[in-house]
Amino acid sequence: MGLLTILKKMKQKEKEVRILMLGLDNAGKTTILKKFIGEDINTISPTLGFNIETVEHRGFKLNIWDVGGQKSLRSYWRNYFESTDGLIWVVDSADKRRLEDCINELHQLLVEEVRGATLLVFANKQDLPGALTSQEIKEILDLEGIKTHHWSILPCSAVSGKNLLEGIDWLLDDVSSRIFTLD
Amino acid sequence: MASSPKTMNGSPNPKKKGSSFLGRKTRKSKEVKDSLSEEDLVKKGNISPEDTLRLSCSTENYLCSVDDNVYGIDFTRFKIRDMESDSVLFEIAKPTKEEMGDLPNSIDVTDPNAGRFVRYQFTPEFLRLKTVGATVEFVVGDNPVQSFRMVERHYFRNQLLKSFDFDFGFCIPNSKNTCEHIYEFPKLSQETMQKMIDAPFDTKSDSFYFVNGKLVMHNKADYAYNAGLE
Repeated sequence: MGLLTILKKMKQKEKEVRILMLGLDNAGKTTILKKFIGEDINTISPTLGFNIETVEHRGFKLNIWDVGGQKSLRSYWRNYFESTDGLIWVVDSADKRRLEDCINELHQLLVEEVRGATLLVFANKQDLPGALTSQEIKEILDLEGIKTHHWSILPCSAVSGKNLLEGIDWLLDDVSSRIFTLD
Repeated sequence: MASSPKTMNGSPNPKKKGSSFLGRKTRKSKEVKDSLSEEDLVKKGNISPEDTLRLSCSTENYLCSVDDNVYGIDFTRFKIRDMESDSVLFEIAKPTKEEMGDLPNSIDVTDPNAGRFVRYQFTPEFLRLKTVGATVEFVVGDNPVQSFRMVERHYFRNQLLKSFDFDFGFCIPNSKNTCEHIYEFPKLSQETMQKMIDAPFDTKSDSFYFVNGKLVMHNKADYAYNAGLE
């Protein structure tokens, strides 16, 4: 039994997955988090730090970190990269004005760190009129060009909850196929 | 209302920032080492998270001074919700500084330990909860906190009911942060539950907070489960 196998087996015992959720401010990160764990989404204010949820899902112990996306906070994101298994990048699909900003931040993130983490892009706010489709977001973000990470993109609505579970489940499947042994 | 919300949150063994799986494994096995007494810890000094994980009962005294919290860490909200019924069971928020200014001098500011201790009175039904979500909210002062970790131990007399060890890691200066742990309530025997109901405030908890491995805050709480009974 190789060392990698042993490590895999040890981690499988705890089945702990650390997910980091980032994106520009007002992308809907906290709303996604709250909707996912069934909390009220009517009283959400800008995140001036982090929100952590630890929850069991499909036998995994998920630690989800939602870190504020305001410009002044972005330089602190790097402090949360370590040990991250999955990165969720949230895009406000209706905010066309700031897509350029969004592209730059994501690509800087992927170059800089979060090595090996699975990337899920949520094309959020599909419930808003004029929202770009996930296909359009995929092209704008040049996701096809990403070779360093497993990635996927899903259209979603944090308000209605559409596709949130599907997204997290895809992320978990990918992380577990990379990290945990399949018995 | 007490001014410092207490925490019941934590996940049993979260991934520690910067530690390998092997490291975590080591940490786990440390927990089953021989227990330490409060006296041992006081004698030893430089109390570490691992030390507090070896305490076998609630402490008599606070193991650090209120002045040790030089990072301006302040717990501002605490909430418990029942996941089964999707309802908030308990919520306590610390008044803001502005709100405090409007209050008469009802709080004894000469007591250095004011705000470190909270007393809870719950109904017996509280012990029958299955899955709960416990949220804490805290603020951080002007300086970044590199490594913030919490150890919380709940005891009924000498019986350890639940132990939490959670690593928040880095905290942004002047940030407001929340953390919710959704977890299964510890399964207790009917006998233990009855004892806890019959002995109000013999259920106690200690919350230890560490920055860069150094103990900076110690809060205490006790609990009764006979509210609404004769």
